[in-house]
Amino acid sequence: MTRNQRKATDFMIDVGLVLFGLLMLAPLLMLVANAFKSPAEMVAWPPTFIPANPTLDNFRSVLGETPLLLWIWNSLSFAIMSTIAIVLTSSIAGYVIAKFPFRSINVVFALFLATAIVPFEVYMIPLYFQVKDLGMLNTNQGLLIGYLVMSFGIFLIRQNVLASIPDELIEAARIDGAGELWIYWHIVLPLLRGPLAALAVLAFFQAWTSFAWPMIVATRRAAYTIEVGLALFSTGYTVDLGKLSAASACVLVPSVVAFVILRRNFVQGVASTGMKE
Amino acid sequence: MASVEIRDLRKSFGPIETIHGVTIDVPDGEFVALVGPSGCGKSTILRLLAGLEEVTAGTISIGGRVINEVEPKHRDIAMVFQNYALYPHMTVAENMGFSMRLLKKSKEEIRREVGSAAEILGLTPYLGRYPKQLSGGQRQRVAMGRAIVRQPQVFLFDEPLSNLDAQLRVQMRAELKAIHNRLKVTTIYVTHDQVEAMTMADRIVVMKDGYVMQAGAPLDLYDQPANTFVARFVGSPSMNIFAADVSGGQVQFAGTDWCAAPADLAGAVQMGIRPEHFTIGEGGAVLAVENVDPTGSETLVQGQLGGVPATVLLRTRAAVRAGDLLPVAVRPELIHLFDAESGDTLPMNSEGL
Repeated sequence: MTRNQRKATDFMIDVGLVLFGLLMLAPLLMLVANAFKSPAEMVAWPPTFIPANPTLDNFRSVLGETPLLLWIWNSLSFAIMSTIAIVLTSSIAGYVIAKFPFRSINVVFALFLATAIVPFEVYMIPLYFQVKDLGMLNTNQGLLIGYLVMSFGIFLIRQNVLASIPDELIEAARIDGAGELWIYWHIVLPLLRGPLAALAVLAFFQAWTSFAWPMIVATRRAAYTIEVGLALFSTGYTVDLGKLSAASACVLVPSVVAFVILRRNFVQGVASTGMKE
Repeated sequence: MASVEIRDLRKSFGPIETIHGVTIDVPDGEFVALVGPSGCGKSTILRLLAGLEEVTAGTISIGGRVINEVEPKHRDIAMVFQNYALYPHMTVAENMGFSMRLLKKSKEEIRREVGSAAEILGLTPYLGRYPKQLSGGQRQRVAMGRAIVRQPQVFLFDEPLSNLDAQLRVQMRAELKAIHNRLKVTTIYVTHDQVEAMTMADRIVVMKDGYVMQAGAPLDLYDQPANTFVARFVGSPSMNIFAADVSGGQVQFAGTDWCAAPADLAGAVQMGIRPEHFTIGEGGAVLAVENVDPTGSETLVQGQLGGVPATVLLRTRAAVRAGDLLPVAVRPELIHLFDAESGDTLPMNSEGL
């Protein structure tokens, strides 16, 4: 293949990818555009991409009639706490399973992995009754109970510890006089920064996009997370497209921004799993 | 500083015993090398000393105190690992001051100690760097520095030089020895490289399959190996061991009388001759030369002696070529005799010398 031919091929690939990217982006752009349209324009055919008469009515009524900001806050605090919990539990459990290989630990590890096979929906209802008995419905703690541990996270950290933390490092610290917790905090955690960042991103979005669990745990409007709140705009009979679009746009923007900021961790951390750093 | 005493030490992993009652005494300030082929248990002994493995039976004492049940951090030891075990997220200075930081020493004191250790090791310009920004030899020095800063009773080294290239290894060997001469800390050094052991240690303990084969000063092991294993292991290239016969008061091999046999010896015997003890001379056997490796200062000749492979090391540039027949001889007092069955050294008659 000559250089020109290769250039042409590369160009065609780029064009294809750009078109595909636009296709993926179109619904999101449409959603944001819809948020600025009047109800009449929204159902007009053919649909307009740029609103003819941009209006902020949708935002005004969404922010005025529903506690949207409170819901975002609920989601945010739930997602952040869940992320912290998952990062801590995964790093401790993964480290212990990788570096303290007594025989029964493999059974424990197998049990951890087994929980990944059972869909959350299967034990969601029994868990709900426990949360209810604990009096934690409509609270952040109640939400968190379902999102404290992630079996994939334990697996991810175990693999990373095995691949990138040699035994000698921990033994050297022990000889130097470090206690086990000290070793975990000052040696293991700093060395796991990469995979933990990736895990944090996964955990955050898992909690942020969770729907079924917040839906049943939060029974009061004020306790809803944003996902549950958004669902309110479509009832069995009607969908208030304008408000739903405006609310979705409000939610979409922070998520996309967060993803763009964390994208490198997200891709690298997962891609380099099990590889030597 | 302190002496180390290992008494009848045993270690089992599950049902398999890997250390079978080892006794080693290391006087205060001595540099002892544990050598042996891989799997001989030398690293296990070091890990037992460090407290990284639990003792199955026997005792380990440091400075007269039995430390079988003592936590690693309270044993007052410092260990240098083969892969250095430097903390990748800490600078050289932080790595070296790590143990002092754990002892809650003041920043000022840590800086002073780290500074003086860095001075000894020539690491002063690198204190702010991270391990991955250093060369292999520098990392090795940092690992040493971490041990020195600790000011332990005993240094433990686990094959510290085996990740370095040949030239650097020779240089670090000299540096380690100089540091030992300066600090005079009791040192136990594990290596599979007998040259390292020979050049650095005051005393060598040769191990095989979890047993001590022989312990002694390097040249004593070279001159008076206790058995064929030590004879082959110590010295490079290895000692030639020939299956010889005793008849008429003479040790005979390849149709030649080599030396006078001890009075009460008869029948089969193993005869050991170091390659460097052969000389070209009349009256001996004839080596059918197969291969010649000139190294400049010496000439290594391999061939068949009485139909058995043999190695001869000549201290000169000999004009020998493959296919030549080389007459070789050995002074009788340089010949070692070993029991044909057990491989243990046979006492030579004083008249035989």
